Amino acid sequence: MIRLKARPVTRGLAEGEALVSRMAISFTGGMDPESGIIREPGHDLFGQSVAGKILVFPTGKGSTTGSWQYYAAFKRGVAPKGIINEKAEGVVAVSAIITGTPMVHGLEKSPLDHIKTGDFVRIDADKGFVEIIKS
Amino acid sequence: MELTPQQKDMSAGKQGDGIQKAMDILTAYGQCYDAERLIPVTSVHIAGNFPVLLDEGIDWLEDLAKGGTRVRVFTTKNPEMYDPLQADEMKIPMRFRQRQGRIHEVLIKLGIIPTYTCHHYLVGNVPRFGDHIAWASSGSQVFANSVIGARSNRDGDHVALAAAIAGVIPEWGLHLQKNRRADLVVDVGELDLESYGPEDFKALGWSLGKKIGARIPVFINLPPDLHIEKIKGLLYTLTVTGAMGMVHLAGITPEAPDLKTALGKNRACLPDLSALPEDVDKAYGEISSGKTAKVDLVIFGCPQCSIQEVQEIAGLMEGKQVHADTQFWICTSAWVKLLCDRMGLLKALTGSGVRVVSDVGAADGPHLYLKEQGVRVIAVNSARASYYAHTLFGMETWFGSTRECVLSAISGKWEGRK
Repeated sequence: MIRLKARPVTRGLAEGEALVSRMAISFTGGMDPESGIIREPGHDLFGQSVAGKILVFPTGKGSTTGSWQYYAAFKRGVAPKGIINEKAEGVVAVSAIITGTPMVHGLEKSPLDHIKTGDFVRIDADKGFVEIIKS
Repeated sequence: MELTPQQKDMSAGKQGDGIQKAMDILTAYGQCYDAERLIPVTSVHIAGNFPVLLDEGIDWLEDLAKGGTRVRVFTTKNPEMYDPLQADEMKIPMRFRQRQGRIHEVLIKLGIIPTYTCHHYLVGNVPRFGDHIAWASSGSQVFANSVIGARSNRDGDHVALAAAIAGVIPEWGLHLQKNRRADLVVDVGELDLESYGPEDFKALGWSLGKKIGARIPVFINLPPDLHIEKIKGLLYTLTVTGAMGMVHLAGITPEAPDLKTALGKNRACLPDLSALPEDVDKAYGEISSGKTAKVDLVIFGCPQCSIQEVQEIAGLMEGKQVHADTQFWICTSAWVKLLCDRMGLLKALTGSGVRVVSDVGAADGPHLYLKEQGVRVIAVNSARASYYAHTLFGMETWFGSTRECVLSAISGKWEGRK
């Protein structure tokens, strides 16, 4: 198991299977709020659902309306359980805060290099760390 | 982030759940950008309408309003989906009327002024130079920074609303003087700007937005007496293909009396980018997504038409009739519609078969039901409307000048460049 220090954006605990992207995500247009499936053509998660995952990606991008779309996805049960970003951006941070989703960023080592899709990941956004159990 | 004792009380919920929720949003948002403190805001504008909010978004607003939470800063609202005074004759589906009705009620409860306009700065929400504001609408946010000299970041609705409720916003980005300097020089001196109409400035904005991205440009060699509609055309389109929060127009922007001031001291004044006539020509082809010559709808108003624009359209339509198989809409605010009525323009336009629609913008709100009513091909003089109607709602769009759009409404087929 690897433990990495992280800066909390929100509070709380989350654990589950990681889904890792190397590309920024836009929730408006980029993710279907009905299914949680990434639908942006050319995205490395294209066709995959973020529902129930620990979503690991560099940062957010795109329309500032993204937090409305993320909230709808959360209420429909298809949002991620937790979020790990390299560098938090406003739309993603606000999405996490209004849904109570545990979120951290600024890890001591890059999460993209240390977490692979399918790894079991635990976020402690109260104490500020991430634990990775390799699959 | 350092909070004052009063802000700490607000965060701890001592002033109610709504204010605590607002503070949660603002502190999480502020720490993403290493903001050191929260500063007072004087003006807020929020954007989302039903196609963006969805049912869950309306629930969220209703939850927020529970317990009597209200905004403490003057806050206005962007357009909605339809004109309530024409709902029956325009056959607006009941499910949309219920949604818009709920949004209206909750906005009133929260103390938000239901302007339903994107030219809020023409109808009462006017910040002063140097004011800190939160405008969640990318076009008018850039207008505020670049033309008025008020200070707003590219905030979303949740942040803007939280700022309106708490009365403060994290101090980062464009709120700080040091971040408002230009970092890219754009020369437009090669273009024959004297001959340019507003539509050409939109095509120019489209072409340059992609190259500028999220940087802050300074434009040089613009005529200092550039008409406000041309400035709007340029700024509102730059933010469609780009993500900049501020644009310096040398000689026009209050913080850019000249190139040197816009750039600050330590930077060479040579152009990084020069716009060429062929770039603008190419943009016309990219903005239009139309294939079908027959036009179902000519729609003006993204941003909503000013009274000057309505006067121009009414002049072009004088003595003419809209084609029987084409609809013609002018989208504007309730204030401009009232002026149209007073000036006799409403009667003249209605007689020609033109609808003046208030509380709606041409980019998004109405396309949900227009599509259901069989509208497929639209003609617009707004690159912004073309982009959103095409990418969000799948409309075929033709982009051209106001005159070309009016001629298309009369003949029923696209009369501009293809």
